Amino acid sequence: MTGVQPCFHCGEPVPPGSHFAVDIDGISQPMCCPGCRAVASLIADSGMGSFYRQRTAYSEKPANDTPLATPDEYLLYDDPTLRAQYCRRESAASEHASLLLGGVTCAACTWLIEQTLLRETGVQDAQVNLQQQRLSVRYDPQQLQPSRVFALLESLGYSARPFQASAQREQLEQEYRTDLRRVAVAGIGMMQVGMFGIALHAGDLQGIATEHQTLLRTVSLLVASFVVGYSAKPFFVTAWRHLRQGALVMDLPVALAIGLAFIASVWATVTGSGEVYFDSVVMFTFFLLLGRFFEKRVRRRHAIACRDAESHLPLAVLVQQPDGHWRRQSRRQVQPGDTVRVRAGEVIAVDGTVATGSSAVREDTFNGEHVPRAVAPGDAVFAGTLNLEGSIDLYVDQLYENSRLAALQNSVDRAQRAKPALARMADRLSAWFVGAILVITALTGLVWSQIAPDQVLWICLAVLVVSCPCALALATPAALTAAASALRAQGVIVHGENAIEALAHAQRVVFDKTGTLTQGKLRLETVSACGEVNDAFLTELATALQQHSNHPIAHAFTGTAITGISEPRYITGAGIEASWNGQRYRMGSERFCRELAPTLPSAPNNELYWVALCSSDQPLAWFGLSDPLRPEAAEVVAAARSAGMSLALLTGDSSSAGARLGRELGFDFVGTGLSPEDKMQQVRAWQEAGEVVMAVGDGLNDAPLLGLANASFAVASATDLARAQADFVVDDDNLNAVIRSLAKARQCVGIIRQNFVWALSYNGLGIPLAALGYIPPWAAALGMSFSSLIVVMNSLRLNRAQR
Amino acid sequence: MESLYLLIPIALVFCVIVIRLLIWAIDSGQYEDLDKEASRILMDEEHNSNREEHDDRGAR
Repeated sequence: MTGVQPCFHCGEPVPPGSHFAVDIDGISQPMCCPGCRAVASLIADSGMGSFYRQRTAYSEKPANDTPLATPDEYLLYDDPTLRAQYCRRESAASEHASLLLGGVTCAACTWLIEQTLLRETGVQDAQVNLQQQRLSVRYDPQQLQPSRVFALLESLGYSARPFQASAQREQLEQEYRTDLRRVAVAGIGMMQVGMFGIALHAGDLQGIATEHQTLLRTVSLLVASFVVGYSAKPFFVTAWRHLRQGALVMDLPVALAIGLAFIASVWATVTGSGEVYFDSVVMFTFFLLLGRFFEKRVRRRHAIACRDAESHLPLAVLVQQPDGHWRRQSRRQVQPGDTVRVRAGEVIAVDGTVATGSSAVREDTFNGEHVPRAVAPGDAVFAGTLNLEGSIDLYVDQLYENSRLAALQNSVDRAQRAKPALARMADRLSAWFVGAILVITALTGLVWSQIAPDQVLWICLAVLVVSCPCALALATPAALTAAASALRAQGVIVHGENAIEALAHAQRVVFDKTGTLTQGKLRLETVSACGEVNDAFLTELATALQQHSNHPIAHAFTGTAITGISEPRYITGAGIEASWNGQRYRMGSERFCRELAPTLPSAPNNELYWVALCSSDQPLAWFGLSDPLRPEAAEVVAAARSAGMSLALLTGDSSSAGARLGRELGFDFVGTGLSPEDKMQQVRAWQEAGEVVMAVGDGLNDAPLLGLANASFAVASATDLARAQADFVVDDDNLNAVIRSLAKARQCVGIIRQNFVWALSYNGLGIPLAALGYIPPWAAALGMSFSSLIVVMNSLRLNRAQR
Repeated sequence: MESLYLLIPIALVFCVIVIRLLIWAIDSGQYEDLDKEASRILMDEEHNSNREEHDDRGAR
């Protein structure tokens, strides 16, 4: 991005030739679009310019291809039935509302929202929860309606929708608090027991009166039993649950270690013999819980931010009443057979058939493509697609439950359930580890009962304590957490840490085309003039004409334009007609231009998207548009190949562009014109053949694929649903992050292996010595901490920058 | 060394108090958003009085 100025508000490059700027704290700052300018000047004018100094990330670009909702749309939020879902009356003069926010990127956003709302009359309190992207606002319903809050948020460039508490969310919230309590209790308990532990260890070295030793042991027992009973409970529960199903998981050796060391210590305390390990037990519990807490916290953020397909649909639709009038109604009240009106720029809310009007709809929801499909009366349109050009009236065919969009959401849910679980290395290992320990302990007991029956108990316990799998249990989580935080620093957010293991083993990578390998916006590739007129002039003429269009191809014409265009007329589904210097000009589809200039030749080939230009007497040119590759795409594909992966391209685009791209980049498999279900089927076939599949995608239509793949990436511009399904979200708009993550994941698995080798050889050395009776208890406890420490330090190597 | 019999129970009492305090703080939602609080100090507070007034009610 050298040489291109980033927009001061959203960070996207400022298009050349645009002149949007806002004075912020006395300095004129460049803006990329009217949307950013509006938001930035509002922020600056209300004296909140310091928002820009405090923020740590660019703000989200306000949605400017869908026009800001009209004020009457907000009024729908005041509707009593909808209001009951997210507002709570607390007293006559106070009501509380919960909203889910979109576009909150850093702490400065929360400040901006809170301060703006608190200035509004009637608002009593406003709190934004950054982690959960949630706003709770308390206001006086006599002075302020919730619709005003929505309007304010939208004007700041954030999207908002009512927050509906679900049972699942509430459970997550409860779990978070319970986990935090367990960690807190274990932490404080660790300090207490550690304090007594130091006294006891000192006593071992320099002598201690028996009564004092008994006292210290007894209070340690008191605190430790609380920690074991409360904080370590989940380990016991999980281990037991899996054991009953015949599965041996990592929690089993953990539970065994905690349980046995604790029982041994209790026995020692009661009988006044042997050694106590309360400090080790509590410390081990604390560190394991802490690791799991951090891991869960990342996952929780992801679960709360997840949105379903239905949230893309508008809340209200214009419905024709029996008396012929149009009235805005809640979408859920619409019945099949009703007639609804969808204006240009609105998202279609129902599956239906066009009754009157014609337009073009962008169906990237289902095929990932940005080039729209022209629709006329009798054509079917689907909920979740965008009506681009003209106002159309629809007969409603299906409610949301039976719509194509709901089917997509269903396949997303199915994909999640069908996602094959790769056995984690730790769980595979723990199965035989537990078995081996139990066998060795039993053998040791047997042998020592022959040699010295009075020592059997203590020697068996020493074996179990030495084999305490702290290091083994920490080997995987420590490495995964370190890898996740290293990736985060490189701009990749990791949602499922288990996916790091899957990513390292991936054998096949699946790419989506539009928006993933390509930039997802059309660019003018070539001008093929039909006469003598030069290309530069033709392009300027075309640019001038396209300024009057809201078709997506208009974005491809951004250069300078000739002036003096008059009488522009936009014909839906066809093109633009206008006058210039007394001549009529048309630009658009082949048929539309032939009407004016019958001699127009047909388009040069079908690999580009062609638009014709003609004047009233002669054809002028064909403009070839294409969706250009991301600059780094070829490099990324080559890197994936040299990493030993098979490459597949699965795209919803049915044109020949996909096949051509696949050939150019050297893909092993290219599938074009695929529906989301087709993509899923293909990936499942590979998985059933035993391959580990990773996927990279961006659109709603990729969401099921991302859900099903063993490891999946969503690129920066991806839709919310795709982001929610992906294991990794690439933060900066650069595919290279995929390759960097792959390298990091492989390195991480290498570190996990080293950790295992270390932990197992420590156990391999310690257990025989303990079985022979050579290990004094203090050495066992020291070795335990030491081996865990080495595992943690080794994992932290992942955090070092790699060159 | 007899003081141990007094001091250790006192330490335990403190321990219980701290745990109770922490659990109260967790349950009243003060640890819900660990990301925002870290940068709160950098933000200008213009509505200090307003916030404090409502903070205790803001919990739960």
